[in-house]
Amino acid sequence: MHESPPATHQQNACSFVRSASPAVAAGRTAPMSARDVLLQIGQVLTVLLLAPLIQGIIVQFEERVQRAQGPGIFQPYRDLWKLFHKQIVVPQTASWLFWAAPVVAFTCMLTVPILIPVLTDFPLPLSDMGDILGGGLILTLGSFLIVLAGLDTSSAYGGIGSSRAVMVAILAEPTLILVFVGITLLAKAMLPFVVNHLLVSNWAAYWSPAHLFLVAAFFILLLVETDRMPIHSSTHIEVYMIEEGRILEYSGPLLALLKWASAMKQFILYTIFCNVLILPWGLSVKGTALGALGAAAGLVIKFTLVACLVVVVETSQSRLRFYRYQEPLAASFLLAVLSIIGTQLS
Amino acid sequence: MLIQHLGPIASSLFSLLAIASLLLSFVMLGSRWLKNYLYAFATESWVIAALSATIGYYGNYPELYLIAILTLLFRGLLLPYLIWRIIRRLEVDREIHEILQPSSSLVIGALFVMFALAVSYRVATAYHLELTVAVLALTVMLSMKLIGFLMLAVRHEAISQILGLLVLENGIFLGSQILVPGMPLLIELVILFDLLIIVACFGVLVGYLLTHVGTTSTLDLKRLVG
Repeated sequence: MHESPPATHQQNACSFVRSASPAVAAGRTAPMSARDVLLQIGQVLTVLLLAPLIQGIIVQFEERVQRAQGPGIFQPYRDLWKLFHKQIVVPQTASWLFWAAPVVAFTCMLTVPILIPVLTDFPLPLSDMGDILGGGLILTLGSFLIVLAGLDTSSAYGGIGSSRAVMVAILAEPTLILVFVGITLLAKAMLPFVVNHLLVSNWAAYWSPAHLFLVAAFFILLLVETDRMPIHSSTHIEVYMIEEGRILEYSGPLLALLKWASAMKQFILYTIFCNVLILPWGLSVKGTALGALGAAAGLVIKFTLVACLVVVVETSQSRLRFYRYQEPLAASFLLAVLSIIGTQLS
Repeated sequence: MLIQHLGPIASSLFSLLAIASLLLSFVMLGSRWLKNYLYAFATESWVIAALSATIGYYGNYPELYLIAILTLLFRGLLLPYLIWRIIRRLEVDREIHEILQPSSSLVIGALFVMFALAVSYRVATAYHLELTVAVLALTVMLSMKLIGFLMLAVRHEAISQILGLLVLENGIFLGSQILVPGMPLLIELVILFDLLIIVACFGVLVGYLLTHVGTTSTLDLKRLVG
């Protein structure tokens, strides 16, 4: 289909790596540029501070679509504030895992924004710690510990929630890996920054079937991983709970940390979806303060667009039966396989 | 050969249409309701008609316009209408006893596409067709055939089987349109009438099954009748 693009992909990736590596090398030998360090801290802070806002926007939009008033887009911040001022009640059966899980989950979500393009489209000093798979590993580590904590308290709902979450993860994880493989084959590199550059610079790559299939496959994954409709229920009843079933025993600041971590996970997945796959534009190229602020504002706009799409799905879909969970994920798997085949052909 | 001197826009248009029809056959594979099969099949036929017209435009084959119109009329409108009439008579809305769940058949279909890709690479190298469009057309053709066979094998409503047969035929037609676009008009016409006769025969067969056996599911047709 594209005769020339493979060559240009290669060149793109190469020139990018070439241009990036001196900066990285310089960052290691010479004292790191203070601006880059600040930008990296800024990336983490953006995720930390804006994550509840996205959650609030989605909930508010949903309420408005259903013709209700809605709590306002800042409600998650108020919830977190309230929870941080409550006391902690710990079940007698809980071990140290119960205390460790929220902290580790929160830390994992603080680590991933270092690795992905949140504000800038060039790698920052610590961005070469891990590639796409590394980011996926850390994201999964957080939910793995919450699964353990759900089992740890030996409450019935925690066990059910954990087993369901593991089942969904078993179904979703192969597709996630395949999507990552597809991204890697598309850009011939495992760094999210290279994918971003390729999609911005090359229209043929952006509209190639390989990329479009990847977008569709990742969108289904996005719905599954952020507790959205075809699989997760929107009514908060214990019988339907999957992700929330695991954290029913938590209270006070620990619960706040977990809620914040799940909002951040959603924010990170949206970031990957927007900045790496579907809307790769609008990132800070030079890394000035104004550019970073503009990129943060752009991020909110992009996420609002994706949130509208998610709200449409949530409103129009009904929850699937337990034994039909694999259907959307099989479709996602299929799309990822087709995309990999597309990358082989282009 | 047409595909050896194609512009980039033409070849990406061809790939887009070919992949769209592959995706539609996956929609057929993944759905449970007979109506959805039918809609996906009709859409697939329209996509293939668009492909014929595009090839006719880029390759200067005026007779392909006629074939595109005939495809649209026969495969896109007449055959779906006839099958829709059979479905309405049947009062069967969906596959009730599935041998293979839709999700499993989707995954198996994905494996078939990989197999088709491997085979078409071999075929393309053997015939010196290392062009992307040629490999893509071969892959889509082979995988639509395999998906058609899969639908014939794992579905047992009579309607699903005729639709599986038609998907198989659509795959061959699509591949031949891209690979050998100058195929004589007469052969295409013969194929179209063949399809019409197949569907008409199926209508008669379904009527026979309904009156004599009381079901159209092949699961119930186990007893040999002398």
